[in-house]
Amino acid sequence: MVIYGIYIVSKSGGLIFNYDNNVPKIENERKFSYPLDIKLQVENKKIVVEFGQRDGINVGHVLYSVNGIPITGCQMDDGQDAMQFLQNKENYPVTLKFGRPKMTTNEKIFLASMFYPLFAIASQLSPEPKSSGIEVLEADTFRLNCFQTLTGVKIMVVSDPQQTGIELFLKRIYEIYADYALKNPFYSLEMPIRCELFDNNLKSMLEQIEKSGIANI
Amino acid sequence: MSLTSRSRLSILDKPLSRGKGEVSLSCFALLFSEVVQYCQNKSQTVPELQNKLHELGRKVGIKLIDLYFVREKNGKREIKLLNILLFVKSTLWKALFGREADKLEHSNDDENTYYLMEKDPLVNKFISVPRDKSSLNCAVFIAGIIEAVLTGTGFTAKVTAHWHKGTTYMVKFDDVVVARDKQLEER
Repeated sequence: MVIYGIYIVSKSGGLIFNYDNNVPKIENERKFSYPLDIKLQVENKKIVVEFGQRDGINVGHVLYSVNGIPITGCQMDDGQDAMQFLQNKENYPVTLKFGRPKMTTNEKIFLASMFYPLFAIASQLSPEPKSSGIEVLEADTFRLNCFQTLTGVKIMVVSDPQQTGIELFLKRIYEIYADYALKNPFYSLEMPIRCELFDNNLKSMLEQIEKSGIANI
Repeated sequence: MSLTSRSRLSILDKPLSRGKGEVSLSCFALLFSEVVQYCQNKSQTVPELQNKLHELGRKVGIKLIDLYFVREKNGKREIKLLNILLFVKSTLWKALFGREADKLEHSNDDENTYYLMEKDPLVNKFISVPRDKSSLNCAVFIAGIIEAVLTGTGFTAKVTAHWHKGTTYMVKFDDVVVARDKQLEER
C-alpha cells in the first residue's frame, strides 16, 4: 500500500509540483556470453536495450554497469568505452546490469503536460453530458487518481492499485496547497511551487499515512 | 426634512462593545499576504520592505492603545516600565492573537534592552520566505505594533524583529525612559 508520487498541474497545463516517494528501483544483473543475444544501441547518450527482451530486462532499459564497474553515459568509469568493450570477444563472460531509466525533470514536465489535454478530451468524448475529466486511471501495477479543483488545478497521485482512501488524500493535498502555497506572498500563481512549508507539510502527511493509514489524516 | 427632537443613540452614547473575539485566520492570512506583496512592489530592497511593514504595524498599534486600555484595564494608565511590558506580553497578545507571548527577558548587557520571544508568530504561519530574502521576517509588522503601543503610552522605544529562537522582538527603550523609571522606584 504505497503512494508512488504526487503531481500538481496548473490551470494552463504546466507541471508546478512533483514529489517522488518510494519509487521502486528496477534493476537486473545477468551474466552474458559471447555473442551478446541482446541488441544494444546508443540513444540519447545512453546505452539502451533495443531488441532481445528477456528475464526482466525489457526494451528501453538502460545499461548501468559492466562487471560491476558503473557506466556514465557510454563510458565506463575506468575509462573504456562500453560498446567497444562489449564487442571484444576476450572480455566475455561479462556481467551486465540493466535498469529502468529514471525520469528526468524535463520528462516529467512533458508527461504531465500531456495529461492535461487527455483530461480535457475525456470530458468531451463522454456520452453523458456534464462529465468531469479523467478521475481514475488504473493499470496492472499502479493507479493514477486525479482531482480537479474549482480553479482548474489538477492534483494527481500515483499509487498502488489496492490503496484506498485516495480521494481523502487528494482533498488534504488541496488543503495544504490552499494554506501554504496560496497564502504565501512569495508565491505567484501558475509558477512552480517552491515553498518550504508546503514541502514540509506534505512530507509529514505522507509519513503519517505510512504509519497509520489514510483514514487517520 | 424636519429635525426630529427624538434623540437617536449615536455610537458615542453606547457602551464600548467587547468586539468580535474571533476572525477567520484564512481571511487574515490572505489579507496579510496581499499587504506584503503590496509593500514588496513598492520597495527594491529587503530593509525597505521591512520598514514599510513596520510602518504599517505602527499605524495599527496607535489605534489599539486607547481601545485596549479602556476594555481591559478599565482606563487606568501604566506608569512603570515592567508593567507596560507585561501588559504587552499578556493582555495585548491575548487580545490580538488569542494566547500570550512565550517569554519576556531583560538583556544582560544593556539595561535599556528587553527581549520578547515567540516561537510561531501568527502572521508568519503560512509564509515561506524564499532563499534570496532569508533575512526578511514578516513579524516586523508586529514589531511595529509593539513600538506604537510603547511609544504611545509614554515609553519611547524602538522595536525590531529577529530570527532567533523562533522570533525575538528586541525592545530598546530611550535612556530618558529608563532613568525616569529608576527615579520612580527610588521614591
